[in-house]
Amino acid sequence: MKQIAIAAAALAALLSASGARAQESVKIGLLQSFSGITSLSGQQTDGAVKLFMKQNGDTAGGKKIEFVRRDTTGPNPEVARRLVQEVVTREKVQLLIGPDFTPNTLAAAPILMEAKVPSFVNGAATTGIIGEKSSYSSRTFFATPQLCRPLAEYAVKNNWKRVFVAVADFAPGHDCEKYFVEALAAASGVLAGQLRVPLSNPEFSGYMQRIRDAKPDALFIFMPLGELSIGILRAVSDSGLKGSGIKIMGTGDITDETYLDAVGDAAIGTITSGIYSTRHESELNKKFVREYTELNGPSPRIGWTAVSIYDAMRLAYDGLNAQAGGKFDPDKFVSFVHGRSFESPRGPVTIDKGNGDITQNVYIRRTDKVDGVLQNVEIETFKDVGFK
Amino acid sequence: MSAVPEWFAGKARWSGFEIAFWCALAGAYFLPNIDIALLSQIFIWGLFAMSLDLLLGYRGIASLGHAAFFGAGAYCAGFLGKYGWGEPVSGLLISMLPAAALGWLTGKLVQRVSGVALLMVTLGLNLILFDFVQRSTALTGGDDGLQGIAVDPLLGLFRFDIFGRTAYWYSLGALFALFVFLRAFVHSPFGLALTGSRENARRMIMLGSPVEGDISIVFAVSAAAAAAAGALLTQTTQFVSPATLSFQRSADVLVMLIIGGAGRLYGGLIGALIFLVMKDWLAALSPVYWYFWIGLLLVLVVSFFRKGVLPSLETGMRGLIARLGKARGGGPPA
Amino acid sequence: MAAVLTVLFNGIAYGFLLFIMSVGLSVSLGMMNFVNLAQASFSMLGGYAMVAATQRFGVPFLASLPIAFLAAAAASVLIERLVLRHFYDTDDLTQVLLTLGLVFMSIAAVTYFWGGSYQRFDLPAWLTGQQDVLGLTLETYRIFLVLTGALLAALLIFGLERTRFGAMVRACVDNQRVAGACGLNTQLIFAGAFAIGGGLAGLGGALAANLLGLDPNFPLRYLVYILIIVSVGGMGTISGTLAAGLALGTADVMGKYYFPQFGGVAIYAATVAVMLWRPHGLMGRRA
Repeated sequence: MKQIAIAAAALAALLSASGARAQESVKIGLLQSFSGITSLSGQQTDGAVKLFMKQNGDTAGGKKIEFVRRDTTGPNPEVARRLVQEVVTREKVQLLIGPDFTPNTLAAAPILMEAKVPSFVNGAATTGIIGEKSSYSSRTFFATPQLCRPLAEYAVKNNWKRVFVAVADFAPGHDCEKYFVEALAAASGVLAGQLRVPLSNPEFSGYMQRIRDAKPDALFIFMPLGELSIGILRAVSDSGLKGSGIKIMGTGDITDETYLDAVGDAAIGTITSGIYSTRHESELNKKFVREYTELNGPSPRIGWTAVSIYDAMRLAYDGLNAQAGGKFDPDKFVSFVHGRSFESPRGPVTIDKGNGDITQNVYIRRTDKVDGVLQNVEIETFKDVGFK
Repeated sequence: MSAVPEWFAGKARWSGFEIAFWCALAGAYFLPNIDIALLSQIFIWGLFAMSLDLLLGYRGIASLGHAAFFGAGAYCAGFLGKYGWGEPVSGLLISMLPAAALGWLTGKLVQRVSGVALLMVTLGLNLILFDFVQRSTALTGGDDGLQGIAVDPLLGLFRFDIFGRTAYWYSLGALFALFVFLRAFVHSPFGLALTGSRENARRMIMLGSPVEGDISIVFAVSAAAAAAAGALLTQTTQFVSPATLSFQRSADVLVMLIIGGAGRLYGGLIGALIFLVMKDWLAALSPVYWYFWIGLLLVLVVSFFRKGVLPSLETGMRGLIARLGKARGGGPPA
Repeated sequence: MAAVLTVLFNGIAYGFLLFIMSVGLSVSLGMMNFVNLAQASFSMLGGYAMVAATQRFGVPFLASLPIAFLAAAAASVLIERLVLRHFYDTDDLTQVLLTLGLVFMSIAAVTYFWGGSYQRFDLPAWLTGQQDVLGLTLETYRIFLVLTGALLAALLIFGLERTRFGAMVRACVDNQRVAGACGLNTQLIFAGAFAIGGGLAGLGGALAANLLGLDPNFPLRYLVYILIIVSVGGMGTISGTLAAGLALGTADVMGKYYFPQFGGVAIYAATVAVMLWRPHGLMGRRA
């Protein structure tokens, strides 16, 4: 940050010396979790913003970019809403990246609508939260059905017809369960059984035995990152469920790179559907991973948050450049961003013209050890998957 | 007239400090660049802490599950708003009723337990309610929050705006109204009987005071006040999620009350003010490590202000005034 | 039948894990009458000590357990000397809030030194996988947990509740001045008791890390469980903690097997019921 400040000061001095008028600035609010259980996403946010600024400078559309950074402390709508109110009415931010998590996004939406502040939604995957009630928002993350449907199809295609579904017992889990079970039935797969795991659950062995008794071909898992995602993969391995020939699959959350090393070798062989892997084969991604790691160090590893924030920055810069010179116009900005297609480190991405949600490739990945490091290796691509 | 009722009446009289305090809260609105959204939240937390003070400070009952009542009020206001009852003031009052009933039942349930058992029972009930709301996604929206809450303009005139102006005056007004009520309540004979039970329950029984029956009443009043705080939060933000009844909230409100000082209503308000301002300031200053400083604050307060900030300041002031008086040679007659 | 027995065994193993996690707090409550929530932080510290020893310095897992005990014991004595000893005479609530403050500080401190991620570590090969025992396929690590937990329980019940040292500590707690007058070095005995409590918490953290994962929020996540086990068992009785751990552990695992739709409520409902029925816990002494 210090170098950026010095560079900015130098630039400002140069411009005023050459007689240019004082530079205008644009304030971007960064509302992410920087503390607590979810602090890793805050670290990735900082890392991605830092990288983007290094690559693209600190001005866009002739305006200097300033950040207002606030800690949402996790899924805490009361705090998130107040912070949005604060950065919008007092700090007068023109753009917002965040707040993360579905409840936070929903609590903030009315303020953003009324104040006409365009926002980029990351860290919130619930269906339908982007659209008419938040027409100034664009999602750079993913929508739950995007991950659940392709995986159900993939399972049946590979003849894993009897699937046991285990999800975390909270709203996103129920959401995911619904779409997966629907898609499984549509592909004429069979539901071998299902269960919902409480959010605070240190012990899985009772569930493991239940799954074993149901004798499924495959087990589908949806768990939030952290305690549950690590716990269930370890339990699946320790209990011998994995060794018994049952395929283990789930949404990419459970093998997110930031937590994958903590799962350890228990994760090997897990099949997941995801929007981004650091192993994605493209020049842009190789450059992204290399430069991110050089700048921010190897730990925490790059996860979905980093790439989601990076893409939000890309859209913000493009949108500002498109209206260079004039006063910032939120409506022009939104109509520029909505409908835009671009190449992200994750692959091709389109922000929907109608409602700002995201269409992107979804990859089926297998977790493997590559050069001694656990990686999500992409094995199949579902192209341009919609958000419904 | 004997001296004792007079002494009690004196305690119940409004002091200059109190009047100045409330004027300051109202006046804070006009300060330039003040964060009124944060202040509104402080009023709501302050009311919540005050409701806990009724239990802890005036009756000596420590509850680790007070968020259950806060959440009950918050969800009740949410359901009212969702199903067409958008009028805020009556919505606020209605939201207090189910929580009061819940509080009364809790009081009945825990009459005979105390200490750690009481903490665990209240904690357990809180966690059970949280789990229920969290899992019933069809009814409550679960973790994503209850959708579609609409709140009418206050008094039909003032819309809840994005700057939080209406929210500020509405929360301050509700806080003040409930404070006046609670203040009268603790200074009433019933309130005095509570304090008596806190100090020496056996003696109160001998005096013929229904010590155990009183617990459900004070629980009901306290729960209703907590529910009012929850309903205020829902109405001013048009949003409610299970976070309103999380264990974290129960713990936070207890911490606020202890920081401010239990047993004088204002303690909860002062505690909420210190806690939330510090938290906001520290979170902006060092987003990753503010936990450390909040922890340190807690340790320091418990170490150096054994009874909380407010009572310690009071004692300090009294000492100072007495010393000044002595210095002038006009000390109180022996 | 095999499935039922396997589930039962897993429940018992989980019960021993809960016992191991909670025994530190149980000891400090039983011997010192001090509600020390920071025990959860000492558990975390033990876990991190184990990870550092095995992953960074290549110490074998078994040898890292005493290291975890000693690290947590040392930290415990340090905190006792610096902070806690000034609070022996305060009420439960003050102790709860004081030590909660310490827990917050420990979370931030651990994040500072080790980062916010979950720690990775690999158990030695001989502790992973499954073993065939009497026709059942059991997880190796759970067998290890049951054996360790049983050994620990036996040592503690006979070592602390029925020995001279235990009696000396109780004498100091009951009446510090008289105990001192009888020639006991009360300061040293208090420090020793704290070291044992903290060390046990550290050992518990090191043993639990494999099943529960380890990150800076470890203390807050498991504090409620620890409190439940200790209070349901009866404040400060080691045999009570063992009984509560086994009962709740078995009930939890069996419940999840037979009635998964009840989710996590069962353990809280059981806690509320026990506390209303026996406010001093299943084996509480201070009735």
